[in-house]
Amino acid sequence: MAETRTPNKRSAKTFKSPRQSSPLPPTPSFLTPQTPQTADPPRRSSRRLSLKFDFTPEKPVPQSARKERSSRRKELIKPPKSSSKTVDAAELAFSPASPDQSEARKRKRADGKQQRTAAKRVYYRKVVYDEGEFGVGDDVYVKRREDASSDEEIPESEECRMCFKAGKAVMIECDDCLGGFHLKCLQPPLKDVPDGDWICGFCEGKRSGKVVERPRPPAGKRRVRTLREKLLSSDLWAARIESLWKEPDGSYWFKGRWYIIPEETATGRQAHNLKRELYRTNDFADIEMESVIRHCSVMTPKEYAKENEGDDVFMCEYEYDVRWNSFKRIAEIDNDEEVGEEAESDEDWKSSKDVVSDSEDDMEYEAEADKHLPNRTSSAHALAANSKKGHFYGLQKIGTKRIPEHVRCRKQTDLERAKATLLLATLPKSLPCRNKEMDEITTFIKGAICDDQCLGRCLYIHGVPGTGKTMSVLSIMRNLRSEVDAGTVKPYSFVEVNGLKLASPENIYRVIYEALSGHRVSWKKAFHLLNDRFSNGKSIGKGDDKPCILLIDELDLLVTRNQSVIYNILDWPNKPHSKLIVIGIANTMDLPEKLLPRISSRLGIQRLCFGPYNYQQLQEIISSRLKGIDVFDKQAVEFASRKVAAISGDARRALEICRRAAEIADYRIKMLRETPTGKAMVAMADVEAAIQEMFQAPHIQMMRSCSKLGKIFLTAMVYELYKTGMGETTFEQLATTVSCLCAGNREAFPGWDTLMRVGCMLGESRIIVCEPGARHRLQKLQLNFPSDDVTFALKDSKDLPWLAKFLCHG
Amino acid sequence: MPSLAVSRSAEEPLTPQKRRLRSNSTAAPETPFSSPTKRKSPRRCLDSTPSSHSTRNDSIEPISNSSKSPAEELSEDFSEILNWNPRDASQVSAVKEALHVSTAPPTIVCREEEQRRVFDFCRACVEKEQSGSLYVCGCPGTGKSLSMEKVSNKLIEWARDGGFDPPEVLSINCTALTSSSQIFGKIVENGYVKVKGTAAPLQHLQNLYSQKQQSSSSLIIADELDYLITKDRAVLHDLFMLTTLPFSRCILIGIANAIDLADRFLPKLQSLNCKPLVVTYRAYSKDQIIRILQERLMVLPHVVFHPQALELCARKVAAASGDMRKALSVCRSAVEVLEAEVRESTIRLRSNSSLNDLLNPLQVKIDHMAAALSKAFRTPVIDTIQSLPQHQQIILCSAVKFFRGGKKDTIVGELNKSYVETCKSRMIPPVGISEFLSMCRVLNDQGLVKLGQSRGDDKLKRVTLTVDEADINFALQGVRFFRTCLQ
Repeated sequence: MAETRTPNKRSAKTFKSPRQSSPLPPTPSFLTPQTPQTADPPRRSSRRLSLKFDFTPEKPVPQSARKERSSRRKELIKPPKSSSKTVDAAELAFSPASPDQSEARKRKRADGKQQRTAAKRVYYRKVVYDEGEFGVGDDVYVKRREDASSDEEIPESEECRMCFKAGKAVMIECDDCLGGFHLKCLQPPLKDVPDGDWICGFCEGKRSGKVVERPRPPAGKRRVRTLREKLLSSDLWAARIESLWKEPDGSYWFKGRWYIIPEETATGRQAHNLKRELYRTNDFADIEMESVIRHCSVMTPKEYAKENEGDDVFMCEYEYDVRWNSFKRIAEIDNDEEVGEEAESDEDWKSSKDVVSDSEDDMEYEAEADKHLPNRTSSAHALAANSKKGHFYGLQKIGTKRIPEHVRCRKQTDLERAKATLLLATLPKSLPCRNKEMDEITTFIKGAICDDQCLGRCLYIHGVPGTGKTMSVLSIMRNLRSEVDAGTVKPYSFVEVNGLKLASPENIYRVIYEALSGHRVSWKKAFHLLNDRFSNGKSIGKGDDKPCILLIDELDLLVTRNQSVIYNILDWPNKPHSKLIVIGIANTMDLPEKLLPRISSRLGIQRLCFGPYNYQQLQEIISSRLKGIDVFDKQAVEFASRKVAAISGDARRALEICRRAAEIADYRIKMLRETPTGKAMVAMADVEAAIQEMFQAPHIQMMRSCSKLGKIFLTAMVYELYKTGMGETTFEQLATTVSCLCAGNREAFPGWDTLMRVGCMLGESRIIVCEPGARHRLQKLQLNFPSDDVTFALKDSKDLPWLAKFLCHG
Repeated sequence: MPSLAVSRSAEEPLTPQKRRLRSNSTAAPETPFSSPTKRKSPRRCLDSTPSSHSTRNDSIEPISNSSKSPAEELSEDFSEILNWNPRDASQVSAVKEALHVSTAPPTIVCREEEQRRVFDFCRACVEKEQSGSLYVCGCPGTGKSLSMEKVSNKLIEWARDGGFDPPEVLSINCTALTSSSQIFGKIVENGYVKVKGTAAPLQHLQNLYSQKQQSSSSLIIADELDYLITKDRAVLHDLFMLTTLPFSRCILIGIANAIDLADRFLPKLQSLNCKPLVVTYRAYSKDQIIRILQERLMVLPHVVFHPQALELCARKVAAASGDMRKALSVCRSAVEVLEAEVRESTIRLRSNSSLNDLLNPLQVKIDHMAAALSKAFRTPVIDTIQSLPQHQQIILCSAVKFFRGGKKDTIVGELNKSYVETCKSRMIPPVGISEFLSMCRVLNDQGLVKLGQSRGDDKLKRVTLTVDEADINFALQGVRFFRTCLQ
């Protein structure tokens, strides 16, 4: 056993010699234990070709090959001692038992007739490499670049941020910047490591908005970054060892499963990410042991919470799917795996499968890949990831092997970050320009729930779309929740319903009841129970003596024909023990007046209006979102907000325009990447283009992208309109005009049939209105849009410049 | 002080009718509210309120413990009256609770006549062991449902005292029914009658009331009766027909807003000569609203509202709708206005505030009430128009121009043409038709323009202006652009 663990370099060398001396087997090309050194150029090229075929998603060839193999494997394994040599090989490869023995046997075999097994990789459970012991399941730091000189110096312990010495004294870590501090170096010095979170003075200052000067290292001394810092700034990688083996040429390799830092995911670092959080990916790579630096430990959140010493400690809770950019909690995955493993108890069988598959068709690829050792991504593996039978990891299933470099090296540019923050789905940190309304809502809610006896009330919020109605209420509720946590506000239950999401208005009872009690019942039953709860004061579920805040978005959709749903809901707050607060949101200002008088009487007089934003407010909203990202021209933002404010005052639209402008700018910059420009800025022109895209009616673009004949057709219609002054024309007349136009401008008249077809096509896209084509020449035609639009769209068309003179009649 | 005096004097012209009613109700031990002493000392009443108001009791207890004799209590009342302190959260919440819609007032003033009529009707029915139907109508917020509750309670007490069988009371809110014919099921469920066989509830009831086997009568109060109106009016009709069956002993009281519901939907009953008796609840007048508000505020040991403020509120509400719910919520928001003002002033001058308190006691004054009323009743058309985005203002402007010729309505396409013209004359690039349509929809939502329905084409929707031309002129006259536009 002990020897198994220490197959150090020397033993590898001793092993290497026989294999190298072994001559190339004559026939089976797919079994050759070929080393890159011995491979001759023409062969290699042919192999590469085959390789390509192997890795097409369908994999027609390996499929059958694998079948063959598996059948063979079975016959090899099941009768344990029937063919002693192969079984030996399997044992040797995977049992951590006696390597010496196996080596000896192997050598024997090599001496004998069996050339094939000699070329196999040797798999290990644990390896001592470079004075470190690495086993399957360990987490390690991996060098990112071969040539990185800074990777050479590996500080064992971190330096204090104040005195810049490592020392043995106890250090405390800031939870925000992760910097280490000697207890004695702090101002004032600490005696013990305090319980709970601790934040250094610098970070605290930074949080409160002050400009803080961190102490600089003494002159001449370069601050040495620890491995942890390097990893978290993506100068280093971390991986988990999935399997370890020794190549035929004696080098040690392992299959690593990458960890990535939150910044490298598609979503970027989120607010909930811890500083030391990593994501496990489903991206595998074969890595040479040479590039391993040392151990680190990635733990589950539970273990991580207990652990409070050491610098190379990380937390990993989720697995990240690099292809679909999705996250999954690891506990769930692992549970699945355990089930799978229990079902599949034949451990030997599984392992042997790996061996065989490796030895048979992957080996040559490996040999090939050895050429490009430095780039780690070159050696993706066909089946090795599938060490657990029946469990596919995303990519293997579809057959894609290669993870593009940019997936791991994603570092968002400013423009990309701007795009992300301008997304409508991104939750802004602050809500500017709605302070007055938010105050009013807050006092309303607090006034209602802070009383010891909660008095039911209704509030109706109205305003045009995109003025932050729902968002304000939700952010208030979020603040209130934190106040509940702090204990200043009594607990309440909050139910949010969107009228648009209900299949029918009556379903609101079901949704409310489910939110309050957790039970799912039919809406009739739910209504009955809710009525008991709110009108008669009977209890449903536990903890329902809490006041309940009901937020109904799109209230107007609850209006049924006899309005009974909205009546019932608004009637409850008027009952003595309901403790219900209803907040209704809708666009319509005069909804209460449109309702029956008995309902508006119950709705009360509390109204709140969210007016459309003016341009200063829109500007403030956009710039507050873009705080810290300096990519937008100030004038560009103002232009966008003025444009939107003039038409609708919809913040969503302003944000969309800015996001689109950023996209256009991004594209523009990427197009001229060769010429290095100073800073990527979103300029006025980009905003202009975005606005054009958004506000320009689609029919103009449609007309512009018409065929040549279509344009002539439309021009003829406009011309006809001017000539006759009538909106309608017949196809016959139009055809004459078109032929005149064509003749006068050296265009070939296409003939009536073609013209007819063009006319029908324009009619189908509703640019013109026409009768069915069966009437042929008597078919009546009419422009569906004002003739000015046609003029505007076609007057400067490049391929037919002469159209302008027929379109513009002064 | 003055408000108390007013309330006393208001109590004087009580009709003997009213007194009789109260003496009737005092007989019941479980109605704690109408004991005669309560009127004299509101504090006592406070102490006797159910335990749910314990917090409010706590806040006042220290004072009430000190005084025992009624005289002392009264005198202290007066000293206390001046000291309503809006800074005290518990006192404010007590006021708000007293003004809340869900707090049922102890006695219902101003509805004595109506209550008496309903009660007499029910009593006659019970005495004669007859069936009968009654229809109560009136505007929302005029105390219909509330007084029905009181009447039914009173009827039970009276029947118990008089040796009659107390009727089974069933009050249903018809909006709470999932289907309108469910009401018969409810009646059967309530009426302790076991359903034998598989007969439908309605048939069962009809059978029941056609045979002579009954013991006691039942009182059915159906609130929001108009929700029972179906296309063939069968449910409503069947319901009222139950009272015409020979051995029926059910008393049916229907409540709704419409005055003529019975005439319109129950013509057959008229021919059978058993049309329901109609009791109309008129909208509250100004004096009635003042009395009700004072009645509610009686339970408080302080004077919260300045009488003039109450009168302003009452006048305004009575003029608008006579809806008591509205009056109550206006009063409540007036209290909130005062609260906000006090909060601000304490922040501003913390040192001087105590002095100010002594000089003028804090009350809800007429200006607070005016602020609350303007919040409730203002029509923010002018503000809305002024805060509209520019292009929407142009649409309104062009609509005004379009309708000057005496036209009443047009279609969206025409309005768009007029809008494009206006834009062009002012050198503003007009927006496309789809954008124009969405702006029209926004204006429709704001209630400035009314869009009609149209099947296929959006452009064919009818548009009418719902605000006055003068309003638009007034709102936009500040901008020179629109002024020239509108001339």
